[in-house]
Amino acid sequence: MSTTQTLGTQTLGAAGLRAGEARTAVAIAAFLGLGLVFLAGFAPASALHNAAHDFRHTQNFPCH
Amino acid sequence: MIIRLLSAALVAGFLAAVVATGLQLALTSPLIVAAERYETHDAQASAGHPPVLRSGALPGALPIVLAHAHSGAPAHSEAEADSGAAAAWQPGPGLPRMAFTGLATLIGGVGYALLLGAVMLACGRAPTLERGLGFAVAGFLAVALAPALGLPPELPGSEAAPLAARQAWWLMTAASTAMGLYLIAIRRVPVTILGGLVLLVAPHVAGAPEVAATASPLPAGLAAQFAARSLAIAFVFWAVIGLAFGWAWQAFGRTAPAPAHA
Repeated sequence: MSTTQTLGTQTLGAAGLRAGEARTAVAIAAFLGLGLVFLAGFAPASALHNAAHDFRHTQNFPCH
Repeated sequence: MIIRLLSAALVAGFLAAVVATGLQLALTSPLIVAAERYETHDAQASAGHPPVLRSGALPGALPIVLAHAHSGAPAHSEAEADSGAAAAWQPGPGLPRMAFTGLATLIGGVGYALLLGAVMLACGRAPTLERGLGFAVAGFLAVALAPALGLPPELPGSEAAPLAARQAWWLMTAASTAMGLYLIAIRRVPVTILGGLVLLVAPHVAGAPEVAATASPLPAGLAAQFAARSLAIAFVFWAVIGLAFGWAWQAFGRTAPAPAHA
């Protein structure tokens, strides 16, 4: 978005990454990560609950 | 870069899942199965039949109802009045159940690894072994230790507050602890540290949903052992996620072309 262009160089974050690209990567990873954790830990469908049951108990997700 | 992030998260989630699945199968799954036997006994007794040993042969042997006690197997339909569907699918006992536990651990591990990577990049910290471990410890504090203060890890069969209330408190505590740690460790100025401390403490002052205080046939020692093992496994799970993510991020950075900048 508002990447400042100085002499053809894009602003680099502390990680040495282009800001716009990093933002997209963060958004995608966060979305996927939340989705997977929801699937494994919270999804209410009973088949999913039963499949993940022991994992949920061990990782202390509220269960039943 | 998105490829690098996703690959590193897959590697980290996979390695962590391998380790954590092994630990779960060795340390907590046997306790869960044992607890389900108590749960089954209890339901049978309350249903009016004596807790008959279905295996018959050995006195003192436990009934062979190893199937998962949550989806209305005929022997204990009463206990599961809340879950409704009597014929819900469940993995078979033994190997299938272990496989699904492993699969769930893999999905959860990759999910946590993606979140860890997203948070590290959003904070502008290039992942390394040490930083990965640091963020992973924060993750453990946020989603394992802090929620466990109010809702200790429970074996099946312990009566507790309604699921929705516990899930809401869990999510609120995890989010609030994560934000608090961010304000304290990343922002690190007096006012944010103060705010962070407030966020760390707030969910516990607000109070978790009631913990089961009713008598249970489950031996207390079993439950205590489960809680301790569960937290230990969660810590190892997170530590491996963090270390492996930092390592994999560096490894994929070496092979990938350097980011194009002057």
